[in-house]
Amino acid sequence: MNRRTVTALVVNDLRQLARNPRVLVFAVALPLVLWPLMWFLTSLTTERRQERIESRTYTYAVADESADVAGTADARTWLERALAVVGDDGRADGNEPTAGPAVRFERVEAPDDVAAALDEERLHVHVAWEAGGDEDLPDEDVDRETVGNDGQGAPRIVLSYRADLDASDSAEAFLRRALERTRAELREQRLATAGFASAPDDLLPLERIETASEEQTSGLLLGRLLTAIIVMMMLAGGSIVATDALAGEKERGTLETLLTTAASRVEIVTAKNLSILAVAFATSVLNIVNIVVWMQLDLIAPPAGLKLVIPIGAGLLLVLLYAPAAVLLSSSLLLVSGRSKTYKEAQLLFAPVMLVAMAVAAIPVLPGVELRSAIVLLPIANLGVAAREILTGQYDWPLLAAAWAVTGGAAALLARASVRTLSAEKLITASELDAADLAGGPALFPRRVARWFAVLWALLLVWQLNIGGSIDSRLLISINMAIFGAAAWLMIGRYRLPVRETLSLRAPPAGAWLGVLIGAPAGLVLADGIVRLASLAMPIPEAWIEAMAENMGAGLPLWQMLIFFSLMPALFEEIAFRGVLLHGLKNRLTTVQLVLVAGIAFGFFHVDLFRIPPTSLLGVFLVVTVVRSGSIFPAMAWHGLHNALALGSARVEQIALPEQPIWWHYVLAALAILLAFRLMKRRTRAAFS
Amino acid sequence: MSTVQVEAQGLSKNFFDQSRGEVKAVQEVNFECRGSEIFGLLGANGAGKTTTLRMISTVLQPTAGTARVLGHDVVSDPVEVRRNLGFYSASTALYPRLTARETLTLFARVNMYPAERTRSRVEEMIERFGLGDYAGARIEKLSSGMKQKVSIARTVVHDPPVLIFDEPTVGLDVLNALDLQKAIQELREDGKAILFSTHIMSEAERLCDRIAIIDKGRIRACDDLEGLRAATSRHYLEDIFVHYVTGNDTTA
Repeated sequence: MNRRTVTALVVNDLRQLARNPRVLVFAVALPLVLWPLMWFLTSLTTERRQERIESRTYTYAVADESADVAGTADARTWLERALAVVGDDGRADGNEPTAGPAVRFERVEAPDDVAAALDEERLHVHVAWEAGGDEDLPDEDVDRETVGNDGQGAPRIVLSYRADLDASDSAEAFLRRALERTRAELREQRLATAGFASAPDDLLPLERIETASEEQTSGLLLGRLLTAIIVMMMLAGGSIVATDALAGEKERGTLETLLTTAASRVEIVTAKNLSILAVAFATSVLNIVNIVVWMQLDLIAPPAGLKLVIPIGAGLLLVLLYAPAAVLLSSSLLLVSGRSKTYKEAQLLFAPVMLVAMAVAAIPVLPGVELRSAIVLLPIANLGVAAREILTGQYDWPLLAAAWAVTGGAAALLARASVRTLSAEKLITASELDAADLAGGPALFPRRVARWFAVLWALLLVWQLNIGGSIDSRLLISINMAIFGAAAWLMIGRYRLPVRETLSLRAPPAGAWLGVLIGAPAGLVLADGIVRLASLAMPIPEAWIEAMAENMGAGLPLWQMLIFFSLMPALFEEIAFRGVLLHGLKNRLTTVQLVLVAGIAFGFFHVDLFRIPPTSLLGVFLVVTVVRSGSIFPAMAWHGLHNALALGSARVEQIALPEQPIWWHYVLAALAILLAFRLMKRRTRAAFS
Repeated sequence: MSTVQVEAQGLSKNFFDQSRGEVKAVQEVNFECRGSEIFGLLGANGAGKTTTLRMISTVLQPTAGTARVLGHDVVSDPVEVRRNLGFYSASTALYPRLTARETLTLFARVNMYPAERTRSRVEEMIERFGLGDYAGARIEKLSSGMKQKVSIARTVVHDPPVLIFDEPTVGLDVLNALDLQKAIQELREDGKAILFSTHIMSEAERLCDRIAIIDKGRIRACDDLEGLRAATSRHYLEDIFVHYVTGNDTTA
């Protein structure tokens, strides 16, 4: 890559932007003023509302005082005492205690039409008595809540108000809280009169000790919000350049000029990405500095409990951590810009990108989501959760590295897709299609297969994260297999794929069966080795092992275990992965790439983090089996036997690994695998294809 | 005789369209172009001129056949091809917010012109194309004639041995078109190999050393003007063109 070329292109993009006053004003300068201004105005409005609530004189009326309702004397006492102390115990919302002056309540004459008086705000709250018992239950169409006892035998106070009118709503809140407090005092007095002399506060006093440091508490709050804020700022800033980067150039006609220069597609995409990143970074820094300045001037206040202080080490780590996320975002924007025909279309398509990115960035807000879970596989969300853990002082290095690698990998894939977009002739010509588009069907499938499996993976991830753990393992497996089977059926139907060729439904060489008998147990031993290796970086928690044993159908009859955990995966997973996926990828990748990509993809579909390494290895073995034998049947047999053996070992040992690995076992297993593949009688790649 | 700078062999390009299906835009085109030569592609709209030139400039990939620029293959060595090539067409626009000087500097840099000579080369281009008074003005402020001059300067600023002009006079008034033709002739005198496409007969007659008549993606004839006259027994290029494209005789 020529650095001089890239620099020249970046400088050109930034120069174009800097000379566009309209963009600078509306996309850079205005947000600098508007964001803090909105914040400031929101705080100001809240403060003013509070002042208004506390300074206002509320009106109340008491209905039908002469009514002969048993016990009204008590109720009147209760009301009078409440009115004497109303407002000195808290705000209307009851969240923030205050020592402010008592709220003023003024009594007015009871109106004939209470609803009209409330509506016209001549009255803020209306007080009425009702006799106890069930005979006067409220009408069903009126939203009423009983304050005080359950209405059995004692009169109750009924407060009527309008929740949609600020003054009425506040008046009711003040009065209700005062009534509740006064009632507690009355109750204590009565208990004392009855001889229960102990002060209520002396009974089972409760004390709370918070062991988290102030930094950890603040770090948790900051960590929950930080990723969403950064992603929002990066997207807002990056989209300024991204829209113009390719869609704008296309519309202006400068893209063809650029494409006929000596700059390579990679250099152009790199330069565009750097321009987006530079502007996104600059606008983010500007916005953050701007908000800090407003805070320093006491014009806006940070959320309660939030300290904007990050230790230098953690800060540097966060910068490193967010780097692939930034590239991922800029590549996404660039890709959308490249796929759009016009500036306007690019702006339109940015909206869903931003929604998805913000939804993923908001995941750290969810309680209970830890990095050491399947979330590590979800780009951006994994870095968000990692950032939250770093800010609370947790450094899970292997998982931090994994999260960084996953998001970095996704960023690399998207950057590559951007380069390919620039090579697409659709950018220049009026033709919308290529040969595969036009032909559709089997010719188009290799270009669509990755998209299908990506959607399938996302579906499975959402399903497993939300429902997976809460249902019976047999039902879970049945649904998973139904998803795989349905997806395979859909793809075969949609692209008119030849079933026999797609699923490699061919008679295997005789040696393949012996190969399976040797290979499957050996593969299981090597899977054990890979689990051990992985556990050096990611120690497997005991709880996981127990849950795994439970999920693997502990307590089920053997025949059910074999059907659900061995037979069904051997059929449906093989059809989906060694059939349809392999068929879609085989002509786009070399044999080694095919084995690795299709094999590891299979591992990633086992969403559980600790299962990915061994299932990826199994996936690799099964792909080799199909490629070598030219048939899916030995792979089905290998898969079924592998799972059956794994179940057997789980029943015997509860997946407990021996204390020390026995290395010669692994060496023997590796040799056995090689022998197994040799027995599968090498066929030419053409035979498999 | 100068060496061959551009050669196309069996160059073909198919497009795919929902309504028309597979469209054979260019079919087995063969030609070569030497230094100090203007090679014309003469054809009606949609004949395949632009597609051919876009394949040579590596923007489009050939469906079949090959093309080479200074021996560099357009498929396997596209960057070297573009480095030795300047491409000008009515659809290759300029960045409106750059000045003429900044535009020339940018294109000298991205086309890998030696860094130490870039500044002097840019000033040389500004002087050669008479941009001196406007070199500091933004492109968006320039007249269309001045923009055209900047475009030509942008095309040649990195001193490429091969130049492609794809219907360069489309949309220009007569005087600007003549200015452009003069500039192209001067570039031929500098030793450049020039591929020039047009559908204007007078332009081809005046400029081109050799002319290929292209129709429906195929080259129907390729020779110098005298050769074409001799082969068809017609004097005017318009009649020669009609003869090859329709087979009808328009002469009285």
